[in-house]
Amino acid sequence: MLRDKFKRPAVTEAENTGREEQRAGKENWQEILPQVPDGMFRKCGSCKKILYEKDVRDNWYCCPKCGTGFRIDPLTRIRMTADVHSFQEWDADLCGGNPLDFPEYEEKLEQLRAKTGLADAVLTGTAAIRGIPVAIGAMSADFLMGSMGWAVGERLTRLIERAETEALPVILFCCSGGARMQEGIVSLMQMAKISQALQRYSEHGGLYIPVLTDPTMGGVTASFAMLGDVILAEPGAMIGFAGARVIRQTIGQKLPEGFQSAEFLQKHGFIDRIVKRDQMRGTLSFLLRSSG
Amino acid sequence: MYQKILIANRGEIAVRIIRACRELGIATVAVCSEADREALHAQLADERICIGPPRAAESYLNMEQVLSAALVSGAQAVHPGFGFLSENTKFARMCQQCGIDFIGPSPESIEKMGDKSQARQTMIAAGVPVIPGMEEATEDAQEAEAFADQIGYPVMIKASAGGGGKGMREAASKEVFAELFAVAQQEAIQSFGDGRMYVEKFLGGAHHIEFQILGDKNGNVIQLGDRDCTIQRRHQKMIEETPSAFLKEETRRKMGRAAVCAAKAAGYFSAGTVEFLVDDEQNFYFMEMNTRIQVEHPVTEAVTGVDLVKQMILISAGYPLSYRQAEVHFSGHAIECRISAEDPEHNFFPCAGKITGLYLPGGNGIRVDTALYQGYTVPPFYDSMLAKVIVHAPTRDEAIWKMRSALGELVIEGITTNADFQYELVGSREFAKADMNAINKILEEKVKGERL
Repeated sequence: MLRDKFKRPAVTEAENTGREEQRAGKENWQEILPQVPDGMFRKCGSCKKILYEKDVRDNWYCCPKCGTGFRIDPLTRIRMTADVHSFQEWDADLCGGNPLDFPEYEEKLEQLRAKTGLADAVLTGTAAIRGIPVAIGAMSADFLMGSMGWAVGERLTRLIERAETEALPVILFCCSGGARMQEGIVSLMQMAKISQALQRYSEHGGLYIPVLTDPTMGGVTASFAMLGDVILAEPGAMIGFAGARVIRQTIGQKLPEGFQSAEFLQKHGFIDRIVKRDQMRGTLSFLLRSSG
Repeated sequence: MYQKILIANRGEIAVRIIRACRELGIATVAVCSEADREALHAQLADERICIGPPRAAESYLNMEQVLSAALVSGAQAVHPGFGFLSENTKFARMCQQCGIDFIGPSPESIEKMGDKSQARQTMIAAGVPVIPGMEEATEDAQEAEAFADQIGYPVMIKASAGGGGKGMREAASKEVFAELFAVAQQEAIQSFGDGRMYVEKFLGGAHHIEFQILGDKNGNVIQLGDRDCTIQRRHQKMIEETPSAFLKEETRRKMGRAAVCAAKAAGYFSAGTVEFLVDDEQNFYFMEMNTRIQVEHPVTEAVTGVDLVKQMILISAGYPLSYRQAEVHFSGHAIECRISAEDPEHNFFPCAGKITGLYLPGGNGIRVDTALYQGYTVPPFYDSMLAKVIVHAPTRDEAIWKMRSALGELVIEGITTNADFQYELVGSREFAKADMNAINKILEEKVKGERL
């Protein structure tokens, strides 16, 4: 091997920058990494490749290597979909309480409100998509996994009722682990409340388009997510009711390939179309225009 | 001064940069693909980090991987060489963001000069003559054709984001314009992801003459003379020399000044090259600026005695230029022949394989830059250049004799190379007379059945 035969001239002595000590031991190389500014890189959950954050942002928050979508916060979602500066928030301060006196629940809510800037797990309001005004909502995976409690239920119901009054179509980006455990029966009741609001809305001729994103599970799937006139979903989104493990253990059988993926659901008739993020705006605009 | 530099390249240029670092007492980190573990640059460097599978897109062009390697190894700077990421604005910015020096110009300069039509505009504003052509790039074939009709055929259709001869087509007449535009645009989209094109007057038989410039971070710029790179096969250079036998002293002086002017207009520091086309009447026109060290840099080093790669490292570390313009002296004549793993008998088709026999020439005024060694297997994944043979002598005639002698000694067995072909070319009457256009015709005829 040539490598072993080469002689290496001495490296110039360093001015002590402190990095010399850092680099001395192999265990210390991790201390060098903080040079990378926070958030400059991220890892794709699917293909595991390291990605430049700007590339992810420029690619609709999808992995530039494998195309898998990253989860996005509600405001970004709405901005990506609606016309520039068209979004106006409704019911911004609507907050829930603690009906079951669940321990530490209120503290948790406060923390999340401070962290996400959201009052609860959904953002609602009005916007325009290629000039067509709509009532729009988007759920937040960062806020207790988008779980639906009273605040989410009430805010969505008000969105639908106001859309009915103002004759606006409803577009809803669903993202949720299901009903919020901390609010018990109150959470479950939201399923009925929203479904009734949608029923009335539909009877009055309203167009409702839910877009199922990763993940959409539990009580949300069992209520408003599946009640759309046209049901869209993002590629690869996990959509289901009970968790796969629970199902597997209950029925004692292996689950089919791709179970609970958007593609699986589409094949079995549960959703109408899978829409990639860069085509979402165009598809929604088409549906809005076609329905008059 | 840096303690450790990562070389984001491979082959002979990586070896060249590693050597400069060794001489400066700087530790070196080589990155290699899985196919290059035994490559010379990976063996010569102090550290070696494997950054991916053989395909360049997954290794040498993979910005995240290269940057990770730099961070993990603790390198303070990255030298990108030529090709690969050397003119990639995004990569240069990423390095900046992480506090790692990109040994080259600023990302802004790269961007300014990388967009060919924007570069033209910068030059026009600086008073540097440019080839008559479109003011702004367009994606519209009809707009381009209308312009071509106006300035007169033949014209050159070029990609704004182009380089290395890609996205370029010569349109001899209106009849062929539309089709050639479409082909060139498609190539541009595929190679650079950008379909903006522009049209220039085609200067047939013009000489391709470039000037080496060096700038420091204080705004000082010097020029280190010209290089005649007219001998090209399909826009790939084969033989380069300095000084150009064609250029008159007066023209040389003017061009040198224009080159410095161009570099200053671009806010340029580090090593770079300003390329011009010169017609038979010694009128010169800015063609483009290359914001990197170039393959043919050794001929400039030979006649000036300036180590360009070392200068790049010093400049990047914040040192001022080691020379003022008045201190740059030119001595003698230098010629470089590129030896590639290509078969001239079969359309210069690239070859790969194991080197079974290797003898490299040496002696007074002979330099060989290569990454070859006995027993090395040339991988098929990268460009086919194997070695550069550079000679330096007091006069052009002596340099030609020296090159003939050197090429005559050169032995590379195990793969097909263009060495014999270069040997004939250098010894030809046309080359002795510096009739570059005649040589280019020979090259064209050699390539059978080529279609644009």
